[in-house]
Amino acid sequence: MSWALPLFILLCLLAGALRRAPVYDAFLVGAKEGLNTAKAILPALIAMLCAIRGFEASGLMDGLCRLCAPALQFFRIPEETLPLMLMRPLSGSGALAMLKALLTAQGPDSRAGLVGSVMMGSSETVFYTCAVYLSAAQVKKSRYAVPCALLAWLAGSIAAGLLVP
Amino acid sequence: MLQGIFLGLMGLSLVTGWARGQTDQVVSAMLAGAREGVETAFAAAGGFAFFCGLIEILRQAGAVRGLARRSAPFLQRLMGPSLPQDALEPITVNLTGNLLGLGNAATPAGIEAARRMARGDTATPALCLFLVINSSSVQLLPTTVVALRAAAGSSSPGAVVLPTLLATAVSTAVGILSCKLWEKLS
Repeated sequence: MSWALPLFILLCLLAGALRRAPVYDAFLVGAKEGLNTAKAILPALIAMLCAIRGFEASGLMDGLCRLCAPALQFFRIPEETLPLMLMRPLSGSGALAMLKALLTAQGPDSRAGLVGSVMMGSSETVFYTCAVYLSAAQVKKSRYAVPCALLAWLAGSIAAGLLVP
Repeated sequence: MLQGIFLGLMGLSLVTGWARGQTDQVVSAMLAGAREGVETAFAAAGGFAFFCGLIEILRQAGAVRGLARRSAPFLQRLMGPSLPQDALEPITVNLTGNLLGLGNAATPAGIEAARRMARGDTATPALCLFLVINSSSVQLLPTTVVALRAAAGSSSPGAVVLPTLLATAVSTAVGILSCKLWEKLS
């Protein structure tokens, strides 16, 4: 995949040059918009990460894992991948750290390692995406977006357990 | 919804921390989370600016409009009548970026799309569907996971590519179907 990014950059520059677009000025306009995005997502990002880190530190995360374990074993989801599964919708960097730890502890080619890898890729960070998009668009009534997104995450995680032999 | 989640997570954490005599740890973790949020946004800002700059070049060259026009019939069919015309371009950029795994390119366009789809402070069916698609991952190649597996010494780091694609398809399909069903029932 190392060729994809340089190719994309080249494509943008070429398209701009060939169509005689003001390449430099256009880049500046876009860059400004990008910086505004970073500013717009800040409050929601801070709120979510406060809540999630507090939740972890209180020990409730571990409790939730223990509570869910029996139900999920029914779907052939290994117990070792549970913290990763529960972290996946809450925090992208947190889930990535858990996948790293899982791959080191269980081995990348163990069943838990494989299920965890598939879980990681089967869903995005639900709360981050919803919180950031909704707050930046100043939407207060999100209606059924969050529950449906969580349903999708659950289906993806169960599929990960069932798809890995 | 998010208000409830925020209240629930913060309140439960504090009460549990207090009951276990670990209030200090919980509070300092919350503060660390706030700092992490600032760091994450600052770390992402450069990537956002970089990709938005490149995409703006593409847009001014007319390439985005062409792509949006081609994907318009599909998007309109998928997202229904509540999809405004001016959201087609940012949605196309967002979904293309997500398919290719360029999160930093997809997020700014996604926020722009969300702004154009919102009606006042209420989400439209199209916006709900868009959020669910964005949350359920549509990435074609899980490059980060494959790289992590290779780094951990896997004998076949790419073994998860096909199952991941299938699991992603399942999650996205369930997300879309549940949105449509909820919309119909409400």
